[in-house]
Amino acid sequence: MDLETISARLAALEEAGLAAIRGAADPDALEAVQVAYLGRRGELKTLLGGIGALPAEHRPQVGAIGNRVRETLEAALQVRRAELDAAALEARLAHEAVDVTLPGRPFRRGSLHPLIETNREIARIFGQFGFVVYEGPEVETDVRNFQALNIPPDHPARDLWDTLYTDVPGYLLRTHTSPGQIHVMQQTAPPIRALLPGRCFRYEAVDASHGFEFFQVEGLMVDEGTTMADLRGLLDAFTHAMFGGGRPTRFRPGYYPFTEPSVAFDVQCVVCDGLGCASCKRTGWMTILGAGMVHPVVLRNGGLDPERYQGFAFGLGTDRIAILRYGIDDIRIFLENDLRFLEQF
Amino acid sequence: MRVPLSWLREYVEIELSPEALAERLTLLGMEVQAIEHRGADWRRIVVGELVTVEPHPQSDHLLITTVRTGPGEPLLTILTGASNVAPGQHVPVAVPGAVLPGGRRIEVTRMAGRESQGMLCSGDELGLTSDAEGILILPLETPVGAPLVDLYGDAVLDVDVKPNRGDALSLLGLAREVAAVTGAQVRWPEIALSESGTPTAEHVAVEVTDAGLCPRFVARYVDELDVGPSPLLVQARLSAAGVRPVSNVVDASNYVMLELGKPTHTFDAAAIAEGRIIVRLARPGERLETLDHVVRELTADTLLIADPRGPLGLAGVMGGAASEVRDATTAIVIESAVFDPVSIRRTARRYALRSEASLRFEKGQEPRLARIGADRVAQLVAQWAGGRVAPGRIDTAPVEPAPRRLPFRPARVVRLLGAPIDAAEMRALLARVEVETAPAQPGDAVRVAADMPSVVLDAEAAREALVAIVPTHRRDLEIEADLAEEVARVRGYDRIPGRLPETPMPEYRPDPRRAVDAVRDALAGRGLDEVVTHALIGPHDHERLGIAADDPGTIRVTNPISAEHSQLRRSLLPGLLRVLVENERQRRVDVALFEVGHVHDLAAGEPREQPMLGLLLAGDQAGAAWNQPPRPADLWEARGLVDALCSRLGVPLPEATVPAEIPPYAHPGRTAQLRVSGPDGQALDLGRVFEPHPRYLEAVGARSPHVAVALVSLTALQAALPRARRYVPFPRVPAVERDLAIVIGAGRSAGDVERVVRDAAAPLLRGLRLFDVYRGAPLGPDERSLAFRLTLQAADRTLTDEEIDAAVAQVVDALATRLGARIRS
Ligand SMILES: [Zn+2]
Repeated sequence: MDLETISARLAALEEAGLAAIRGAADPDALEAVQVAYLGRRGELKTLLGGIGALPAEHRPQVGAIGNRVRETLEAALQVRRAELDAAALEARLAHEAVDVTLPGRPFRRGSLHPLIETNREIARIFGQFGFVVYEGPEVETDVRNFQALNIPPDHPARDLWDTLYTDVPGYLLRTHTSPGQIHVMQQTAPPIRALLPGRCFRYEAVDASHGFEFFQVEGLMVDEGTTMADLRGLLDAFTHAMFGGGRPTRFRPGYYPFTEPSVAFDVQCVVCDGLGCASCKRTGWMTILGAGMVHPVVLRNGGLDPERYQGFAFGLGTDRIAILRYGIDDIRIFLENDLRFLEQF
Repeated sequence: MRVPLSWLREYVEIELSPEALAERLTLLGMEVQAIEHRGADWRRIVVGELVTVEPHPQSDHLLITTVRTGPGEPLLTILTGASNVAPGQHVPVAVPGAVLPGGRRIEVTRMAGRESQGMLCSGDELGLTSDAEGILILPLETPVGAPLVDLYGDAVLDVDVKPNRGDALSLLGLAREVAAVTGAQVRWPEIALSESGTPTAEHVAVEVTDAGLCPRFVARYVDELDVGPSPLLVQARLSAAGVRPVSNVVDASNYVMLELGKPTHTFDAAAIAEGRIIVRLARPGERLETLDHVVRELTADTLLIADPRGPLGLAGVMGGAASEVRDATTAIVIESAVFDPVSIRRTARRYALRSEASLRFEKGQEPRLARIGADRVAQLVAQWAGGRVAPGRIDTAPVEPAPRRLPFRPARVVRLLGAPIDAAEMRALLARVEVETAPAQPGDAVRVAADMPSVVLDAEAAREALVAIVPTHRRDLEIEADLAEEVARVRGYDRIPGRLPETPMPEYRPDPRRAVDAVRDALAGRGLDEVVTHALIGPHDHERLGIAADDPGTIRVTNPISAEHSQLRRSLLPGLLRVLVENERQRRVDVALFEVGHVHDLAAGEPREQPMLGLLLAGDQAGAAWNQPPRPADLWEARGLVDALCSRLGVPLPEATVPAEIPPYAHPGRTAQLRVSGPDGQALDLGRVFEPHPRYLEAVGARSPHVAVALVSLTALQAALPRARRYVPFPRVPAVERDLAIVIGAGRSAGDVERVVRDAAAPLLRGLRLFDVYRGAPLGPDERSLAFRLTLQAADRTLTDEEIDAAVAQVVDALATRLGARIRS
């Protein structure tokens, strides 16, 4: 074989190889082409195996041509491989396409009960003013629920609380969270800023605004200089935090045997913004809590000297706050636990 | 208290509208809960004059009348069934188109063949008097044609008088409050008697056996009276105030109760044996028929009004039927007494007879009202029933107490209120509620609290102090703080400026609810819905749990709302299941709920309450969807949630055992006891996970076949919380995994295997996971294969194959010797 022949064959091989590479339809075919042309027993190797028959001076030249052919084919292989990969990926992606409008996998959302969350929110707001949480029992003594709060047996003020009594002598179901005032004063020394959330009980016919079980949060602040002005300031701050800033409030006399002076605290009706509606009995106001300056007898029963210490207490109805907060018209729904209700929180 | 404004105006000038007055009273602490416009529902009811009254030719009980309802108006022909009508009378006429209270419409009708062009009204139909039989006969001076509402319409305020203000349970008391607001003068009714005949003392004698129970008893005697209806105005006022008119004598007593706040009683004098009244406690076995015609067995601590023969009435609560004033009564004894408030309250409650009178007595009575009330009733009876008032009164305690002197320190009032009010302003404010003030003297004592030693003023303190002269009707003003309230009240609470506290902050205190809130957040985050159920449940709920209705450990309510809510829950389970059942009724069958709440019982005779977590799963837990199979609730779902909760809180995973005793509400083969070890290594009983017994589910009406429950003690969970979360360095050397399929026979549990593996592989074991359970061939019929993956790792080095093989061999050995288990290969 001479130089020319071998050069011509190499050129033909290159052309045929390139055509085969272009014609390979999938990675396997391409692999076969690679083996056929560039493999150990491939055409290029075989052809260059005849190089020994050439005169020595031609060998480098043929070698160079051979290398160029190899490089050309390898480059073409690489390009083709990339093309085939891209096509294969595209085909796979096309195959994997789904109806993206199908719904996502359902996860249970879970919910927290609005009454307890309202208690937590109340505690969070007063917590910003240094109030800390205490707890008292649901089954209370008559002494702490009434007598220590300046309500002796047979006192006409007992009519304010229709009480559920137990068969354990001296114990009843607490009618309010106020006995917590005594618990706190006996546990800790002033300055006191305490909150006592809890479940309360009353002998009460159930209707849209009353239940025989309900939730309250008691607040107590006692030190040497807490005044009614502080009570007002904190209740205003609370109202604005809970119901939005700027909502007018009203401070008027109330009556509780365990506070003197006693306060009823009204918030401008959140339903009608003060214009008058059925929810506020056309007054434009809603009473959200009772409060007052802790009665000297109660301070003394809590172990404090009323000449030195003074302060205020308040009792917030959690149900009432929650009703206003969420726009609920019937408190019975809180204890019904209908999922259609719970799922909204 | 219902306050007709037209009546209130007798005692004080009122220029405000009813709405404005209501607001002012509310801001003064006399909350007006409603304003009723009486007569607002009398539409097209006018004054008519009867022109003719003829019998109906076809009916014995009907009369045909013609009525003039104004000059120029055509005469109306109106039929009536009443028999008290006569020509010339003025009567209320509902003309066609009228609407009566209650919504009844009056149209032209036919009765017994004759047309009736409207209706003549009774007092009862209009709510003016209690007479439903006859037509209401109006005074002749009533202008014909006038709408009735212009003559008898009224605004009635419903005032919520607080229990400490018994004095304001009266028109006069509320007139004082109005005066405090408006500055008007209070007008007392003029009480003037003309007495004649023989002196009272010759008709009546009074003996009080215990002056503590009856500090004052005043009696008067009126005879030659004629019992009949009261004047229309009086009946209308009483009706408006919510008191049913009865007769002129009884109405006089009620009128004075509402006017002065002084309950009195009138006896038929003929029914009092020997004219002797004895105020005493009941004797064993005594009985009394009260005005409501109930015969009552009297208990020994009941205060009675009696005569020498026996009881006449329950003092301050209700009179007796035998001495009741009747139509035939011609002479009466008026009782106007002061009783011990506690005694009256107890009696009224014991006999379930709470009356307007007892409500006033139990709030305490001003002594001088006993005298004034007796005189006022006598005066009105004489006026309305034409009686003759006997000269003089019987009075067991004629000396009346003087106003109370109440020293106070204006500086303390300022300190309490946080508002700058000077002493002069305080004096002016107090004067508006008839509390006069004077300078204090050294030695005057300030009452800080009723049952504490008073603070005695020295010369310097006295210079800054004042003395309030409290009128006798203000029995509620007893201590310095009461005067602070009075000052603030009259000045206007709303004028107290708000400010944020500047006093020292309390010490930090960890929030006791933090752990509970973490539990709630974790479970809600896991998709559970929080519920709040009743703490009061029924005996049936407990019985289904295997707790007898009369179990001595249950706390019962002695006066329950209903049997369904008569016992304090000893478990959260009944409440949770009720929520399931209610939601199943709404076709919500896939639920995951939890509740955090207290359970109650008696421990050593004392009430005990324990915080618990209950969670209930029912139906599909995966969420039915096109791309995932359902996962019915089961024991392991509940267990997994408890595990997840524990690990979220940093509590070690609880260990499950088969409880020694299975409660009757739980599936006997699907109940696990959970135990967890606390930070000090103490074993804590965390609670139970179980599937409820099918019979229990059936009994409570739950339909779902797949229900699982966990009842967890929050006390134990809190005790198991780590004291602090500390980072534990994890080994950086590779870990090795080895799988073992462990075959166990009957009577061996997965828990047993896990315990043994943990024991045997202890120092190197970093993880242990059960990934498969297999039963069936080629295993024996009682055998199970549990496939565990062990993760082995040393803290400081890569384990060699020899070490690993040795550790695994040790595990296999231990399983074989301790559980008779073998390895399946
Ligand atoms: Zn409103």
